[in-house]
Amino acid sequence: MTLLEVQALDAFYGDFQALFGISLEVADGETVAVIGANGAGKTTFLNCLVGLIDRRRGQIRFAGEPIVGEPAERISRLGLSLVPEGRLLFPSLNVEENLMMGALNRRPGAWTLARVYELFPVLGERRRQRPDQLSGGQQHMVAIGRALMSNPKLLLCDEISLGLAPLVVDQIYESLGSIRAEGASIVLVEQDVKRAAGAADRVYCLLKGRVTLHGQARGMGLDQLSRAYFGT
Amino acid sequence: MTVVRWSLVVLGLLVVVSAPWLIGEGAQRFLSEAMLMLAMAQMWNLLAGYAGLVSMGQQVFVGLGAYCLFFASISLKVAPFWVLPLAPLLCAAVAAVVALFMFRLREAYFAIGTWVFSEVVSLLISKTERLGGERGVGLPTARLVDPRWLEPLTFWISAAIAVASVAGTYALLRSRVGLGLMTVRDNDVAAASIGVDVWWNRFIAFVIAAAGCGLAGAVSFTATLYVAPGFAFDPNWVVAMMIIVIIGGIGTLEGPILGVIIYFALREALTVVFGLSAGWYLIGLGIVAIAAILFEPDGLWPMLRGRLGADWLSVRREPPAPALELSAAAQAAGGVRSSPTEFGATPGDR
Amino acid sequence: MIWVETIINGVLYGGLYGLLGVGLALIVGVMRVVNLSHGEFIVLSAFLGVSLVGVVPWLHPLALLLPVALIAFVLGFVLQAVLINRVVTRPDPFAGILLTFGVAVVMRNLMVEVYGADPRHLQAGRLAQASAGIGDLHVGVLPLLILALSVALFTGLQLILTRTRFGRIVRATADHRDVVRLMGVNPGRVYNLVMGLSLALASVAGMLLAIRASFTPYSGVERLLVAFEVVVLGGLGTFWGAMLGGIALGVAELVGLRLDPNAGPLYAHLLFLVGVLLRPNGLFRGRS
Repeated sequence: MTLLEVQALDAFYGDFQALFGISLEVADGETVAVIGANGAGKTTFLNCLVGLIDRRRGQIRFAGEPIVGEPAERISRLGLSLVPEGRLLFPSLNVEENLMMGALNRRPGAWTLARVYELFPVLGERRRQRPDQLSGGQQHMVAIGRALMSNPKLLLCDEISLGLAPLVVDQIYESLGSIRAEGASIVLVEQDVKRAAGAADRVYCLLKGRVTLHGQARGMGLDQLSRAYFGT
Repeated sequence: MTVVRWSLVVLGLLVVVSAPWLIGEGAQRFLSEAMLMLAMAQMWNLLAGYAGLVSMGQQVFVGLGAYCLFFASISLKVAPFWVLPLAPLLCAAVAAVVALFMFRLREAYFAIGTWVFSEVVSLLISKTERLGGERGVGLPTARLVDPRWLEPLTFWISAAIAVASVAGTYALLRSRVGLGLMTVRDNDVAAASIGVDVWWNRFIAFVIAAAGCGLAGAVSFTATLYVAPGFAFDPNWVVAMMIIVIIGGIGTLEGPILGVIIYFALREALTVVFGLSAGWYLIGLGIVAIAAILFEPDGLWPMLRGRLGADWLSVRREPPAPALELSAAAQAAGGVRSSPTEFGATPGDR
Repeated sequence: MIWVETIINGVLYGGLYGLLGVGLALIVGVMRVVNLSHGEFIVLSAFLGVSLVGVVPWLHPLALLLPVALIAFVLGFVLQAVLINRVVTRPDPFAGILLTFGVAVVMRNLMVEVYGADPRHLQAGRLAQASAGIGDLHVGVLPLLILALSVALFTGLQLILTRTRFGRIVRATADHRDVVRLMGVNPGRVYNLVMGLSLALASVAGMLLAIRASFTPYSGVERLLVAFEVVVLGGLGTFWGAMLGGIALGVAELVGLRLDPNAGPLYAHLLFLVGVLLRPNGLFRGRS
């Protein structure tokens, strides 16, 4: 069953066009990686999905519903959740309050405060601390937890490995397993090709706002990926 | 400048010089007021539109200029016009000192901080009997000027100040200081990173604007022959400056000119034609200003400029020719035009 | 003894100043807009109080605090929804203050047209004269009540912001206006409620101030400057800092008036300028 269907998506910042005719699909239970270099349009793409980009055209269907014209506040209720680039935690709120914010639009499901603390025990120990008192990896955990609290059908992760030590990234990627197990589909946006391709079922590659490659993650050769990634 | 421009200048000069013989005293007074208001508006525009400083206390310099002129004229026992240059000098000095602590405040806080300073000066003068206290002082030395020449002199000086404010601002903005100012206005962090001295550029603009307002204020009160704290430091001075600039076009030189015309036209229309009291015309102006901010925040001039295709007093500069010619292929890969988002990474970039 | 009394009265008065400022601090903290019509709304509430007193003269003015606060809340909500929300998202930091400045000009002159320029006063009857004594010290009962009310409102505001779901949403919106949209929050609606709250608090301060001192439609300027000084001295975003800033200003003003009866708010203003010179980030640090 197709959960997310994107067809011919264009996106603009003012007069400047950032995305050109993106087409992409995510099936129920799948993990899809979207890779590309800096500025390829990955974050713009995710922001389009959740409704943060004002000027976009094309087709986006989520669970059968067209959402391309909807504002972010309404899209958030449908089961799409974003872990934004740079985490963007609320500095005035402590860990627990940040997580609770994610629960404002809760759909019924397995992810509760207790369950999130089970997944990331260190957060439970630091529940009353503010984000600036946490390490980078812990902040990523809060950001992911916050997105999980609404029990999304589709979790969008924007560069969750950025700036973290490899061991910490391992931890984060391990948690994806539990997230998948509870039934969510995942879109992983990454610059780190190996990680993303390794964790995903299918891969899309973006270059300068266009899809240059897509297919099964297992079958992809390094050469193929490199050409699609760098455009050489 | 071209022949056309020179002839316009000469014509303008002739008109201004001969005006006192052509129009009555009432009209002269009205035009003097308008021209002084133009000068003040140009100063406020210099601060807000070019230096990025919104000052809501600019009336302090209007008042200080007036008080300086009055007391210099009275104590030196000379006709007021002789001591006119002292007004801008005093205001420049005060501004230099004020800047030292006001510049610690950013944006809105600077705006209101200057207002507080104005209130402090007003209160201090109100309490000082030697400066006239709350009641204020008259200008007996005005009698030293031949009464037939008082109005024309005021008119010519006002015209000169108005022209100087426009020309001076133009010259300043076309200079290096001006370029520095405009970078500061657009993005002070970026400006600092390329070596523009943000503080110094703003300081110069602030001092010049203070001097300009002081000069205009001094002449303005000479015309009324009376100064008191309530009038001299009335926030309505800066209200008028702001409304004129906002409606006319902030950050352009033509904007305040357009704004002054609209401001006075509206005032006369509302008070003379419709017979409304001063309060209602201020309400009307306030509503127009609100509408301007909401719908046309750049003011009316940029809109007109587009329609007329006229760029009369533009201070924009031509960018230098590109250092490298981009190949067609590189241009195609590089996208439509430069943008705030990053574009195209080299291999190995994170 | 008279100095101690003056200082105590300054503290009590200062609580009121703090209340004047906290509404402004709230909006500055949440939406980074300095509402230059804050003073005019303070004065408008006082005029509304005077009008209502005319309608229900048997009711003590203090009982009118709640109805006026409710009216002010609605006015703030509408002001934000219709006007200010249109400029909040603009990158230009001055659009907000220029817009609210225009609103202030319109309101000020409308009030002159409607109510006239004569000074008005809210009569509090015997309560205004009553004073409590501890030994040789005499302190007005009304100022004590005002201080108690100010502290109560401050505490209430802090509790709302830190302990309730609404408060969490407000703080989150203040932090990241776009990210909260991802959680289903409409930032515009949050701003409407916050502005309503801000003006409701200001209205209480306005009415209480009108009991203590007379006012005209032009008093808004002075109120705004006080509110602003409270916000800046308090540290641009902390509420208890605003309260303490208000107290500092109150003490400065009353002590100054005792030394120099013609001074008006001069010494409060001077304290502010000195404060800016010495510590431009406010006397107190921290976040709201």
